[in-house]
Amino acid sequence: MASNVPYTFENQTEAAGLSRHELNILAFRSLMLQASFNYERMQAAGWLYSIIPALRKIHKNKHDFNRSLQDHSEFFNTHPFLVTFIIGVVLAMEEKKMSRDAIRAIKIALMGPLGGIGDALFFLTLLPITAGIGASLAVQGNIAGPIVFLLAFNVVHFGAVFGLIHVGYGTGVKAVTKLKASMKYISRGASIVGLTVVGGLIAAFVNFKITYVWSMGKTNIKVQEGILDKIMPAMIPLAYTLLMYWLLKKGWSPIWLIVTTVVIGLLGALSGVM
Amino acid sequence: MLTQALLIALLAGLAGIDLYVGLTHFHRPVVLGGLVGLIMGDFTTGLITGGTLELIWMGMVPLAGAQPPNVVIGGIIGTAFAIITRQDPKTAVGIAIPFAIAVQGLITLLFTLFSPMMQKVDAFAKAGNYKGIEKINYFGATNYFLVSAIVAFLPIYFGSGAASHIVSAVPQWVLSGLSVAGGIMPAIGFAILLKIMLKKEYIMFFIVGFVLVAYLNMTTLAIALIGLAIALYDYHVNKNKTENYKNIANGDEMADGI
Repeated sequence: MASNVPYTFENQTEAAGLSRHELNILAFRSLMLQASFNYERMQAAGWLYSIIPALRKIHKNKHDFNRSLQDHSEFFNTHPFLVTFIIGVVLAMEEKKMSRDAIRAIKIALMGPLGGIGDALFFLTLLPITAGIGASLAVQGNIAGPIVFLLAFNVVHFGAVFGLIHVGYGTGVKAVTKLKASMKYISRGASIVGLTVVGGLIAAFVNFKITYVWSMGKTNIKVQEGILDKIMPAMIPLAYTLLMYWLLKKGWSPIWLIVTTVVIGLLGALSGVM
Repeated sequence: MLTQALLIALLAGLAGIDLYVGLTHFHRPVVLGGLVGLIMGDFTTGLITGGTLELIWMGMVPLAGAQPPNVVIGGIIGTAFAIITRQDPKTAVGIAIPFAIAVQGLITLLFTLFSPMMQKVDAFAKAGNYKGIEKINYFGATNYFLVSAIVAFLPIYFGSGAASHIVSAVPQWVLSGLSVAGGIMPAIGFAILLKIMLKKEYIMFFIVGFVLVAYLNMTTLAIALIGLAIALYDYHVNKNKTENYKNIANGDEMADGI
């Protein structure tokens, strides 16, 4: 690949800084990050799309511009809500005409950890909490459900997208060490909140009840209320979720778990146990 | 029916884009349910069905490129069929799942077929043709629209009459079986979350959350706040520990030096 040949910018003069307005435009364009997602380079072309206006401004030299476009079409994948932080840092480096290798290294060093943190923060914590609250209102026929969900989710979403580009750009290279220091705490905290919520959601929303009534002579014992709930409420939902978890770890695909669950439901209804 | 099917297709197409581009998450069933309800003429049923479907799809988010059964189609077809066939939302899930899996397959295919487009991106980059790169991205977003819109349109337009016919012919135990399965299915979503998140050191927090709801029936927000309180406590304790440890370590070094 061409990237094996070291390239230094022909124009080594530092470019003029990006304005707040210009940065906001980049943040908006980053919403397209996954428009051209593919298995070969994942978000690469979407990443390129996001930063094109800034690269055009920074690299007036045509060779430098083409070279930068080529470098930024390499493999890229991170969390779409945190990507603007990387955009900010990387463009600060482009503007200062730092070496291509340094820019690439920073880009790669940031994309992995931020991808993991983003999944933990947004898809595994924010989404279950806001959607859980919204859904529990919606199932009661309350129109506030979807509205509360959309507002709560997007305040954080757009707050991150439009906030982090300025944080990333402002702190530039310095931000890398700063983030690395607190990375551990952020993901640990997010995991704690996320797992507490998931534990609760299992008890609240997995609906797995035995309707079977055990008759012995004149006494009828409702298996669910009379026995299972006495041992522990929501015991079967917990056990079934942990079974699914174990099967996933064994390498089962979610689709097979769905099929299995449907079969169990059908058998349960046919036999009158559930 | 054509108007309704076209509106559903439009909604599905836009939501299909939002699943990857924009990510406002209006593509979640909790939002789509009510919108589908408006189109189909029964807002409340749509809203309630959407809420139920949301819980089933809770853990099924696209993480690191892995594709779960498509939430857009699951939410839209599930809600639409719950309204058309007047079935319980949990039963409607069973009808929606095959379509959701089909779209999941199509999206995976799309991500594979789009890989060769990267050669074009390379050529455009080399030539400095940034407009070409932008066009490739618009083309990608259009594909998301088309896949979702078409798959949502077909069953609504061709299958709704047939669907209600099928449902009335299906024996009762199948319907209640699908309903039971629909009630259990959130377990799979939560299991997917656990697979990614659960480490030995975090099991205690999971237990706390479970017990608070199973025994005390607390709401989700209450659980989240308790989780936050624990996380903050944990943060400060750990921070102090590290600092103390550092102090001790520094002290030792000095002692060794002397």
